[in-house]
Amino acid sequence: MTLIDLMTSKGPDLGLRLKALKKAGEHKPYDCYQCARCSSGCPSMKLLELKPHEVVGLVRMGFVEEVIESGMAWACASCLKCKERCPQDVAPADLMLALRNLAFEMGKEVPEAYTRILSEVMEFGFVQRPQEVLTKRLVRVNRERLGLPKMPEPSERFKSTFLRALEEL
Amino acid sequence: MFALKVAVFWGCITQTSQYACELSVRRIMKELNVELVDLEGTSCCGTPIKSVSAYASIYLAARNLAIAEATGLTDLLTVCNGCHLSFTEAMRFLKADEALRARVSSLMSEEGLTYEGSVNVWHVMDFLHDVIKKEAITKAVKRSLKGLRLAVHYGCHIIRPSPLGRPDDPEEPRKLDDLVEWIGAVSVNYSEKLDCCGAMLMLSRPDGALTMAGSKLKALRECDVDGLVVICPSCHRMFDERQRSAGAAVGVDVRVPTLYYAQLLGISMGIDEEELGLHLNRSPVDELLSKVKDALSP
Repeated sequence: MTLIDLMTSKGPDLGLRLKALKKAGEHKPYDCYQCARCSSGCPSMKLLELKPHEVVGLVRMGFVEEVIESGMAWACASCLKCKERCPQDVAPADLMLALRNLAFEMGKEVPEAYTRILSEVMEFGFVQRPQEVLTKRLVRVNRERLGLPKMPEPSERFKSTFLRALEEL
Repeated sequence: MFALKVAVFWGCITQTSQYACELSVRRIMKELNVELVDLEGTSCCGTPIKSVSAYASIYLAARNLAIAEATGLTDLLTVCNGCHLSFTEAMRFLKADEALRARVSSLMSEEGLTYEGSVNVWHVMDFLHDVIKKEAITKAVKRSLKGLRLAVHYGCHIIRPSPLGRPDDPEEPRKLDDLVEWIGAVSVNYSEKLDCCGAMLMLSRPDGALTMAGSKLKALRECDVDGLVVICPSCHRMFDERQRSAGAAVGVDVRVPTLYYAQLLGISMGIDEEELGLHLNRSPVDELLSKVKDALSP
């Protein structure tokens, strides 16, 4: 993660700007007037070199690739306070998700946990396999020993349809 | 014999590690005469996939909703804030965007599924509060929780974003407080009540996630509470399973008994602790349980 140095960036990318704005859905970053109310309630503030309203501002100006490469989008906890409280109905949290989607699309570096989850959902339908857990008396138990029924399994066609959903943009 | 019959969607975390959630919800619903119908062929609700592809996450939500609809039941119960939000959001998007709905429908038809958008999505919290209601819940109480001072944690996704229609108010939620008070305990107000557990950050910034959970637990230590009540498996994993590391992240040995509301309700119904999965909690729930025994009503 690096601090964005706009002096060394190649300049606004208007194509990418439009793409990011489109992905942000019904909440329009260009309605933002930089009041910073989103940043004031953000629980991720300590992790951010760029505050939520600054991310919105940069995307609005077209510095999208720079923001993606800063890794800021991955510091959002998705608590949605910013989305709830914005007086202009902008949703920085949704923009963070849009930037994450773009990072995947553009083949940028993404947190390893997300690629792991993706392959688990594809293979197994859920983000992880059932785990053994320890009871207070340190006995290892699983679903069966706890008397819980077998987990559901998605149909055989699921893998290919999910893959197609991922490929469709 | 059952008064109500609903489809149930358990989700990833509950079914693969937070077994106490599934055990306790199954058990209290049985006690309340609610028949839960498990769904075949379900998958992830779509929440974690929102970061990868918005479209793929909507597809995941829609296929699970379609599976629920195929049972012919009108109500779908979720046990996780993330699943509830993902389903509610997808229903809204699919209703508003016909082209999106056509694309998702054609994809789903390959699995033999059809989506109508007709099912009512509930979370355990509003299902208990608004469907089962106060009278039936208080009637089921066999042990008094009088004297217990409890903090509640709603979790972000069950109260926000309000324009979508969430089960409770985004800034001043009441339903979980009500549920705790209906069964005789006191719900303690505290400034950090709406603070995030950090669960979504565990995937990308675990250090920050644990600091968020730790800060909230640390604040609770100052409030003289007997325990923390949660309603979401992601939040429970942060505050209970990871309590030690969360405390370490903020430099405090936090000891806050943390449990699901379904477990608390089960305790008040006089249900056996292991049937409620209380032997699986990592936080010191015994400290809370010993106080309940003291407060047993005559």
